[in-house]
Amino acid sequence: MNQENIVMNLIYKAFESLNAEREPQKQISVGPDTCLFGVDSILDSLSLVSVIVDIESLVSEQFDRVISLTDDRAMSRDPVPFTNVNSLKNYITEILLEQG
Amino acid sequence: MNKLLEGDFVTLQPLTLVDASLTLRWRLSTRAIYLNSGAQTLAQQEEWIISRPASEYNFIITLKNGLPVGMVSLIGVNQAHRHAEPARFLIGEESAVRGIPVAIEAMKLIYSLAFDELNLLRVFGTIPSDNLLMIKWQNFLGMKEEGRLRKHYFINGQFQDAVILGMLVEEYRTVALPRMNALIAIGHRHPSK
Repeated sequence: MNQENIVMNLIYKAFESLNAEREPQKQISVGPDTCLFGVDSILDSLSLVSVIVDIESLVSEQFDRVISLTDDRAMSRDPVPFTNVNSLKNYITEILLEQG
Repeated sequence: MNKLLEGDFVTLQPLTLVDASLTLRWRLSTRAIYLNSGAQTLAQQEEWIISRPASEYNFIITLKNGLPVGMVSLIGVNQAHRHAEPARFLIGEESAVRGIPVAIEAMKLIYSLAFDELNLLRVFGTIPSDNLLMIKWQNFLGMKEEGRLRKHYFINGQFQDAVILGMLVEEYRTVALPRMNALIAIGHRHPSK
């Protein structure tokens, strides 16, 4: 499995963790185009934080690297990585590639 | 305290008797399962609001269009020990806050009240151990686990620990504030409807 697919699976895993905390009728269905914040978002900020924390932790475990999804670099990027799942996956993959 | 706390996305309005019916509905909802049980009737909720002590600051979280979406408090304000407890944090209108950093900014305003206006040195609180979402949230915002009260709460049909979390003023400035500002910035970059 290539790195992009691994990262995508980690993002999905973070959403599985979030869904485990939600009521059965409030489960979130996630795909590459799922909007994470802003217009048409499915998440409130409490849920977004949960996803961010879990992804940072899962990436650290999987790749033995520390990443931050809320640092200045992420915030100054256009578009912001939280546009949708795919853009977040691309951003994480880019960071990992740079770290070598 | 009667003044509003103004953010970019939300305003914290002091809780008044007018809010009794709405806050009772929120507190009786399943989302409030982790809050201490309180009033069961409108009269009890009105009595509860009237009886709030001077050591508490209770707010309704409202969107900029005036829609009330939740509640949050700063309680147990102690100027001798210079600490207080953020509490009763509840988003009652979940669908209205999607895509907006409502919870983040409401908490930022509460922390700013505690540390910048009241000049406190520490905030703290307890969270039931199976409320993983809230524990994760508070840790991300800079709270640190300081201990546990074993089998302290009976919630969801079982006894569970109370996780004690605390944050000092320097942690607020160096950890919490940058993280909260980052997430609020996302809200500005991704405007909601």
